Amino acid sequence: MNTQYKINKLDTSGVGPLVDRHWRELREAKEKGMKIAWCAGPMFVYAYATPNIASHFMAGYAAYCGGRGMADEVLEAAERYGELRDTCSYHRLHTGMAAMIMNDWPVSNPQVLLPMPDLLIGGRFCTEMSHYMEAIHRRFGIKAVTIEIPSARSREDLPRLEKFLTDQVKETLIPAIEEVSGSKFDEENMRSILRPWKETCIIRNKCWEFFKLKPSPWTLWDYGVSIAPVFYAMGKPESLEYYNNLLKQLEERTEKNIPAVHPDGEKYRLYWDGWLPWSFLGKFIRMMIPYGAIPIAGRYPWEFFPHPEDINTEADDIIHEWIRLIYTSPNTLSYHDGPWGGQEHIEDLIQTYSIDGMLFFSSNSKYRKKIRHTRDCH
Amino acid sequence: MEEIMKQFVEYPSDPYTSIAKWKENTKKKVIGIFPMWIPEEIIHAAGMLPVVMWRSNEAITWGYAHVPPYNCAINKSVVDDAVKGKLKFMDGMVFLRQCLQSQEVPFIVENNRPPAFEEYLYLPPIYHGDKASKDFTRDEFKRLRKRLEEFGGEKITDEKLNESIKLYNKNRSLLRKLYDLRKENPGILRGRDVLRIVWSSMLMPKEEHNKLLESLLSEMEKNGYKTAKGKKVFLSGCLCIHPQLELLDMIEDLGMLVVDDDIYVGYRYFANDAEITDDPIGALMERHFIKTPVDPARGEVEVNWGKELIGKVKKLNADGIITLLTKYCPPHLCYYPDIKVELANAGIPEVLIEVEHEVISLESIKTRLQSFREMIGGR
Ligand code: SF4
Ligand code: SF4
Repeated sequence: MNTQYKINKLDTSGVGPLVDRHWRELREAKEKGMKIAWCAGPMFVYAYATPNIASHFMAGYAAYCGGRGMADEVLEAAERYGELRDTCSYHRLHTGMAAMIMNDWPVSNPQVLLPMPDLLIGGRFCTEMSHYMEAIHRRFGIKAVTIEIPSARSREDLPRLEKFLTDQVKETLIPAIEEVSGSKFDEENMRSILRPWKETCIIRNKCWEFFKLKPSPWTLWDYGVSIAPVFYAMGKPESLEYYNNLLKQLEERTEKNIPAVHPDGEKYRLYWDGWLPWSFLGKFIRMMIPYGAIPIAGRYPWEFFPHPEDINTEADDIIHEWIRLIYTSPNTLSYHDGPWGGQEHIEDLIQTYSIDGMLFFSSNSKYRKKIRHTRDCH
Repeated sequence: MEEIMKQFVEYPSDPYTSIAKWKENTKKKVIGIFPMWIPEEIIHAAGMLPVVMWRSNEAITWGYAHVPPYNCAINKSVVDDAVKGKLKFMDGMVFLRQCLQSQEVPFIVENNRPPAFEEYLYLPPIYHGDKASKDFTRDEFKRLRKRLEEFGGEKITDEKLNESIKLYNKNRSLLRKLYDLRKENPGILRGRDVLRIVWSSMLMPKEEHNKLLESLLSEMEKNGYKTAKGKKVFLSGCLCIHPQLELLDMIEDLGMLVVDDDIYVGYRYFANDAEITDDPIGALMERHFIKTPVDPARGEVEVNWGKELIGKVKKLNADGIITLLTKYCPPHLCYYPDIKVELANAGIPEVLIEVEHEVISLESIKTRLQSFREMIGGR
């Protein structure tokens, strides 16, 4: 008889209020006399660590719009401005929002109109990240700092790429932040954010350990939804609280033998490559569940600083320390995120999490990680 | 003149055979370079032939096992050619990251048909002319020089490098002369011929190309410049690939004449010289940071492509702009709306044509071009 599988999601409802608070604070920032930075890519942390700058993580805006049922309206505004459909949807969402503001177009939910920034920080991790900054700069004349963050082809390249990025940040980005904020960049403030953030990531990693269990008590989707606190509430107590709560749930489930898939756990453990399709998480899991299949691991969710133990929050050169995490630290984000290191990273995830099958997700409007890691089969 | 044109046509008609034949005859090494920023001069100074990788004329087949259909044409085509083994006559390949897609190609090539020599340059786009980017670029060029020395077994001295820069500068200045002649005498050459002249420069030894260009220019001078009548248009965009020759014919058949362009297999390729100095690597680095013609892949915020185009069109007294957009090219896709707005505000007629690899629908393009032709002054 065929087993009727059912998903048993973890309680991730704590994310909502935390994320809402982020957006509310952003909307109210100008009234409080703060400056605003729109940031794409991992260089956001320097603006985030500047007390009188409120940071908008551009990658989160798609989920924000989607959550308010406004994605279509904002994308239509982009097209009305002239944006072409083949561009990345993050690009179009921001330029669409900007077009609405610029032209005073009516909007059904004004909450999607964020305050316009004083500074644009494009960490060119994905090259597209600089394109939307450039477009907004051209249209509004807002100061834009775009920083090249190359993905490494080999581990040998990491030290010099790290130096290159550090030099760019010190030479170009930090002075721009100082100019906009009107004060000297406070390294101690950055440390004070990284300390609790490190603690949070350590708890989050404990949660990851549960993915190794068979059956797994949670799915990659549960974790995907839980990514937000490490960014939106970086270094804030509520972020730590969120992961502690998650850990407790996982411990309880394990103790009581409650798997993520009813009745007796997953049949297939899947690796998911590519970004998580935030608006379609439910749709995808409903497709997988009848087969007893669930996503367990993926490169993208593992990008965000999986080795917190390695972060030296007391480093003298804390500006460089953040960049070290991207290059020469065990995390080596810039290597794992590119095609070469990606292959190595995927192989490791497959082993560690006992993966049975792989799904490569790529779409026209999200460019990163489009290649298939194929070897010659001819 | 016809005889000279025949030679320009040879390489672009079948680059695979022509280059392999050249290699066979000279016993020299061929290095394929991915468009658009690799300094060919360093490869030439190593005694090898740099050839700019091109979009083939074949439908993509095996390539789709590695890249999705919504990658740009050069990307798909190079991957397809490489995995099929069609590029095996190349002794080496040099890649770069000018956009996300170009970063993926070397990985696929390496995993399938690795060439004997391969290098990947992390060439930064222009960012505010900062010292960090300049120092880093200089080091990247030095690294390429060293790797080529190891591969070729020959030292690339500053003298050799300067000789190569001189040779390439000469080629560029001859091509610019040809373009200047076309600006002054619209229609002196067919669009397809101009394209093949530039394209052949990307494929054949510059020594030969310079000779051919000199003969062509002197022939033209001898015979006088025959102009043609038509609406003057400027071609813009078409990053990394050459547009279909039929497309250029169609433009002319509809009574328009291309008077200038900023396309890659066009002015963009030969716009900027490197200086001759006692620091040739430094000179190549400085050339890399020249901001014009505006390159949308460069992340540059201080210059504006739309404004640059307006200036050019006004100077040429052209009737409009035909934008050729390499389909699925994010740098151009993201820039285009602002160009359109700038041109509309300046009252300059413009039409957008997407250039794909094999699925180009000439009929629908014809309709668009016809209405554009009517817009700039009916027939
Ligand atoms: S292409 Fe993908 S990675 Fe790049 S900015 Fe867009 S959504 Fe982000
Ligand atoms: S055509 Fe565009 S997308 Fe393709 S390689 Fe060139 S710059 Fe990149």
